[in-house]
Amino acid sequence: MGYFESRVPVDIEKYDNIIDRLKFLQKLDFKNVILEPINSIKKWPKKLIEKIRKGIALNVYFRINLKPKNIAELKQMIKKYNDFSHILSVESENKEIQIYCARDTRIDIISFSYPKITKTLTPGVLSLSKQYNSFIEFSFAPIFNENKYIQSKNIRIIYSALRMTLVKNANYFISGNFPSLSDYRSPRVLISICQTLLDMSLNNAKLALKDNPSKLIEKLNTKIDPKIIENGVKIIK
Amino acid sequence: MKLERQRYILFYYIVEKDIIIDGKSIINLIWKNLFRYFGIKETSKIGLWLIELNLEERWGILRFAHTSKEIVITSLGMIRYLQNSRLSIYPIKTSGTIKKIKKILKTLQLENKLLFKI
Repeated sequence: MGYFESRVPVDIEKYDNIIDRLKFLQKLDFKNVILEPINSIKKWPKKLIEKIRKGIALNVYFRINLKPKNIAELKQMIKKYNDFSHILSVESENKEIQIYCARDTRIDIISFSYPKITKTLTPGVLSLSKQYNSFIEFSFAPIFNENKYIQSKNIRIIYSALRMTLVKNANYFISGNFPSLSDYRSPRVLISICQTLLDMSLNNAKLALKDNPSKLIEKLNTKIDPKIIENGVKIIK
Repeated sequence: MKLERQRYILFYYIVEKDIIIDGKSIINLIWKNLFRYFGIKETSKIGLWLIELNLEERWGILRFAHTSKEIVITSLGMIRYLQNSRLSIYPIKTSGTIKKIKKILKTLQLENKLLFKI
């Protein structure tokens, strides 16, 4: 299926910028891209989705990221996403929210993209996410910090969170989440970074950048299909 | 113990502003990054040489020991700045012979696939 850039922040009002970004990612040899709006919108406009998909020969997927402060807010927010056909992720430092998200089948990704949030990852969340087939997200962006000391700390935080994830055998992937276009790197470089700086094996690096995101898309397709009740249960007639 | 073999890597670079770049500044930057991320122990085993650098088309060829491939690719990927302006280096292809790398370069030039634009 090819490599994924699983979190590309874009401004939905600047269509040309989105296409430029996608063209650049295509040149870097990415085959699949997941876009996330930086604007505070609740759902992706259908017309824009069609326009983007027509404008580039890449597999483009869409996600919405929620940042609730407490469980009550999350419950309020998530009501609007009962029949959501795109990827839904939640990002929070609150452990209760993380556990709730791991159990909720509407939420596809529990995001740990920022070091402050990555620190709060617990084995309990990992076990639950594995049980309920949701995904854990890490990000490369903190590794690219210019300050040596912060960079070293960030690498350590991601490294230890990844170890924990690998031991628990949870579903995980690593996204870019780079703010600037010139920060994007080709999948080959990202695999090398995984192998050298994060001490991952080649197989695990490929899982993080290719196989697990494609599993996420498969899961999304089953979510859209009305005949599929849950994982492994399908109405035949 | 196996004999050390050479690897060649073709890379492409992008600079945001017009700054003066030469072979020395590029190789110094790569060395600096290698030291930053891997230290003296790993860096001493690399045997890094800048074989060719084309300033017009913004590509270059590096030579290093085959055991250090991942280290060199990581270091190239982690480069972000040169003289306070943005510089990104994108490894394109690795090969065991310079002949093969030049052949790849020629096909990329012919197909006009070498150029990146930001």
